[in-house]
Amino acid sequence: MMRARQALLNPLIDENPVTLHILGICSAVAISNSLYSALVMSVALTSVLVFSNVVISMIRRHLPSSVRIIVQMTIIASGVIVVDELLRAFAPEIAQTLSVFVGLIITNCIVLGRAEAFATQHGVALSFLDAIGNGLGFSLILISVAIIRELLGTGSLLDVGIFKPVSEGGWFEPNAFFMLPPSAFFIIGGIIWAVRSWKKEQVESPEFEPISVAELESD
Amino acid sequence: MNNDSPLKAIMVVTVTALVCSVLVTVAAVTLRPIQRAYEDLERIRFIVRVSGLSESVETMSDLEVIGAFQDLEIRLVDLDRGAFDSSNNPDTFDAREAATEPQFRVAIPAELDVASLGTRSSLETVYLLRDGETLQRVILPIHGQGMWSTIYGFLALESDLNTIAALTISEQGETPGIGDVILNPEWQARWQGRRLYDEQRSLRFRISREVVAANTEDASYHVDGLAGATVTLNGVMNLMRYWFGPHGYSRFLQNLSETEGS
Ligand SMILES: Cc1cc2nc3c(=O)[nH]c(=O)nc-3n(C[C@H](O)[C@H](O)[C@H](O)COP(=O)(O)O)c2cc1C
Repeated sequence: MMRARQALLNPLIDENPVTLHILGICSAVAISNSLYSALVMSVALTSVLVFSNVVISMIRRHLPSSVRIIVQMTIIASGVIVVDELLRAFAPEIAQTLSVFVGLIITNCIVLGRAEAFATQHGVALSFLDAIGNGLGFSLILISVAIIRELLGTGSLLDVGIFKPVSEGGWFEPNAFFMLPPSAFFIIGGIIWAVRSWKKEQVESPEFEPISVAELESD
Repeated sequence: MNNDSPLKAIMVVTVTALVCSVLVTVAAVTLRPIQRAYEDLERIRFIVRVSGLSESVETMSDLEVIGAFQDLEIRLVDLDRGAFDSSNNPDTFDAREAATEPQFRVAIPAELDVASLGTRSSLETVYLLRDGETLQRVILPIHGQGMWSTIYGFLALESDLNTIAALTISEQGETPGIGDVILNPEWQARWQGRRLYDEQRSLRFRISREVVAANTEDASYHVDGLAGATVTLNGVMNLMRYWFGPHGYSRFLQNLSETEGS
């Protein structure tokens, strides 16, 4: 029970794949300028993650170490193709907006990362919960970034006007910078800083000791 | 069996590959009809856009677009004879697929293949807009090789079957920001009113970056090129040359203007 809770809840904040492990940044930067794309991407990534974690966990005792990674990649790639086909059939407009980024879920390190780090060593039920947890952890960050970007970049969310822009006689000046990919770096950076100020244990120990000026001068 | 024996590795890889390919194939095949419906709808939207039936296709709902599309007459054209074909069903005929089927495939002679198509279908689906009995517009599908991709579009002609009413590009895979300027509505709008053939019925239409004085005879056959996208535009010019040349719609248009006599 305890392990199940951990598998599900730890990836939300304490072991968030984006803010702690800095994984999956590529798609988080690329498609987080609209909340709708972010929601669809979150569902797509979580589905692939659940599929790959469950299948890989099922066959974990039969995975020869020599071909382990390629078998995992094949399973992940198949899951991504199925999700891509589903999106094109049932949400074609958003599939066009997300374009290559659905296909690029294959290279999203969170998916292969969870397969390697978790599914190959745990049972199906736990792997399922781990996938849901990590999917939600990724989604949490992606959706937060998208809300900030769409709101400050356009003044609306999901096409519902929140701040009335100056062009329509309101007070809000949309900031086009938030529609550009680099803004996501700043926002994700800000979120990481906020989380690490709150949860000090996430701060990594420095890789090397900075040398102080006093020390240099005493030599 | 020992997990690290080569035999086990081969078995696991084979089974995984088989199961995954079945999964992917089933998904692709079963979802194809649904995806197809959406693509058809997209195509209809492009056709309605150049038909002149509506000012703002972008804001129309799917049902409104389908409603407008109903006003068009769909016909198949036998390009070699230059006449309508009545032995196939125009509602279900797919020229893009037909170009690969032995029954309809026509190899394009190398010296005529300016748009690098290789083969085309012997029949093409065209759309006619009539006001009562009189022909108003003809909408012709066109395609050809751009820099990286095959460019697909529709060209609408006025009732004189020589003046361009509208151009739209429905599919292309040129470089975003470079070759995809052919999607620019302002540039496409410049095609309106340009003419294809001169009095001797040779194709005089040109896309080029030469400066052509406005309101001259030359200007009525000329569309400005776009800086930086010369390769893509050469592709567009070549497909115009092919589709309005002897192997394309030229004969059909000539016959149609005789029978419709406008
Ligand atoms: C990566 C890359 C992509 C390009 N994509 C296109 C393209 O899609 N269409 C195009 O016409 N030119 C493209 N070009 C530019 C062509 O190579 C060529 O320079 C250009 O068409 C010349 O146009 P200009 O005569 O107007 O300068 C591309 C160039 C590079 C380096």
